[in-house]
Amino acid sequence: MQETTNADLETAAAPIPAVTPPAKPNSGLFKRNPPIAGEAEAIERAKNGDAEAFSKLYSLHKRRVYTLCLRMLGNVSEAEDMTQEAFLHLFRKLGSFRGESAFSTWLHRLTVNLVLMHLRKKGLNLVSLEETINPSEEDAPKRDFGSRDPMLAGSVDRVALERAVASLPPGYRMVFVLHDVEGFEHNEIATMLECSTGNSKSQLHKARLKLRELLRQTEPIAPPAQIKEAVQ
Amino acid sequence: MSQIPEKMTLAEFEQRLPEFFATGTGSISDDPRLQAFLLENPDAAALVRDFESIVEAAKGLFAVGDAEPSDAVWQNIQNELKSVPPEGGGQGSAPA
Repeated sequence: MQETTNADLETAAAPIPAVTPPAKPNSGLFKRNPPIAGEAEAIERAKNGDAEAFSKLYSLHKRRVYTLCLRMLGNVSEAEDMTQEAFLHLFRKLGSFRGESAFSTWLHRLTVNLVLMHLRKKGLNLVSLEETINPSEEDAPKRDFGSRDPMLAGSVDRVALERAVASLPPGYRMVFVLHDVEGFEHNEIATMLECSTGNSKSQLHKARLKLRELLRQTEPIAPPAQIKEAVQ
Repeated sequence: MSQIPEKMTLAEFEQRLPEFFATGTGSISDDPRLQAFLLENPDAAALVRDFESIVEAAKGLFAVGDAEPSDAVWQNIQNELKSVPPEGGGQGSAPA
C-alpha cells in the first residue's frame, strides 16, 4: 500500500465547502444516511480508543466504503487498498467528527477525497483525461437523435447498471458515481474535481448517454433498428 | 428550471438537457413546459425516460453494498493501528 503524508491526509480531511443545494429529490445525503442503531455509541467509544467499538464501525461501514472505492476505481486491489486507507484515516481523525452531518456522509466524503487524492498521485488528471474530454471514437457516447433505436425496456436492472458503470471511461464513471449514486451536487463535484460546474454537468450527460448505449446492448434483442442518422 | 424557448431543435434540446436535469425539481418527462416538445419528438421523450430510469436505478445503488473487502484488509488495518494513536482521541489501544 502506498505511503500517505500528513499533509495529504489533512487535504483529504478538509471538508468540502458548504453549499446550498437546490431543492431536488435526490439531494440531502443526511436523509439518505439515517443513523444506524448503536453507531453513535460506537463512535464515542471509538473516539476514546475502544478497539471493539472501532471494529464495530468497520463492520457497519466496510461494505459501503469498499463499494464506493470499487465503483470509483473499478479495480478490486486498489479498492481494498483505499478501503484500508480510509479506515486508517478514520481512526486518526475520528476525534474531529462533531456530528454535524451523518457519520456515514462524513466517512463517504473522507473516502471520496482519499480516492481522488490517490488518483491524482497516480498522475490521473481527472478532468483532463483524454478519454473523458475527448473520448476515443469507441468510448464516446453516440448521438441518439435522428435514430429509431428502441428505448430501454422499463426499469434498469441493478446488476446490469453496475456492470455498465464499471465499463465507463474513468472520468465519466467518477462524475456519474459522485452525482447519481452518491448524491453530490455539481458544485461539490466541481470543487472536488477542480473543474467547472458546467464541465461536471456535461460529463454527467455524456456518462448517461454512454450508459444508455451500454444498457441497450445488454437488453434482449428488440425490433431491428432503422438506419441511424447521426445529428451533427 | 431555466427559461424554455417555445421552439427548440432536437440538437438544442440535447444541448440544454444537462441543465434541465441539473436545475429541475422533478421528472422532466412530466414537466408541463416540455410536454408539447416531447410529444412532437418521441426520440427526445425516449431519451428523457431512459435517463430518468438510469437516474432512478443509480439512486438504488447508493444503499447497496454487496461487495465486501477481503479479510486481509481488516488484518492490515489492525497491524497498522498497533503503532498509530488516534489524533485527539483517547488513550485506548488500537483494535486487537
